[in-house]
Amino acid sequence: MMRSESEPSRLDTRFGAFDLDPRDIVEFPDGLPGYEECRQFVLVTSPTLAPLQCLHSVGDHVASFLVTDPGLVCPEFVRTLASADRDRLQATEDTPLLWLSILTVDADGAMHANLRAPVIINAERMVGSQVIPQHSAYPVRGALALAS
Amino acid sequence: MLVFTRKLDEAIIIGDGVEVRILRVGRHGVKLGITAPSHIAIHRREIYDQIREENRQAATMPMSAEGIVQQLRQILEARQSSAPRSTPEANR
Repeated sequence: MMRSESEPSRLDTRFGAFDLDPRDIVEFPDGLPGYEECRQFVLVTSPTLAPLQCLHSVGDHVASFLVTDPGLVCPEFVRTLASADRDRLQATEDTPLLWLSILTVDADGAMHANLRAPVIINAERMVGSQVIPQHSAYPVRGALALAS
Repeated sequence: MLVFTRKLDEAIIIGDGVEVRILRVGRHGVKLGITAPSHIAIHRREIYDQIREENRQAATMPMSAEGIVQQLRQILEARQSSAPRSTPEANR
């Protein structure tokens, strides 16, 4: 059977294969630091990944990140955005934005979330950016330690 | 590398709409004022490099997603059953 253009294609990730609907593609005009060539991502949501999601690049350059809500890592996390960063996301003060922290896992299994430079997605415009505020009290490696 | 000598309150322009001006020259540093269109992101080099290194590490996970999700769920459960923490610890 012929594939129609509207038919979702498959997206192969380290976390399994998922349906890829072109309408789910988020444009990252600047890519991500270290992955500047990755300009399109999808945010994969799956019960097997919850409370994480997978930010996976689409196209020739493959990069894949586990992300989670910064509020899950730091319940008091304050979401403040400079106007220049908001402009870059084509958002106004009233635009609902999705905030995500990228997770790192060390060889010894220690987990950290990047609270310093959150990935922010404007779902109304399907545009995203890893925002690096000029000043921030939050660490690049916010520890996710087992509470003792 | 292009090298300029600039005095206080002198500037250079880069391309269309980017200006870098010398605002103050002190013993321990030089204060720059940068004017640029909002679509151009401006960062301190060392912070950008740190984010880049962290992203590279994040893209290479040493264990399976199942293992990570399982471990994270354990962490969150353990947190919920203990007293709330005020701020996350910074290792760097």
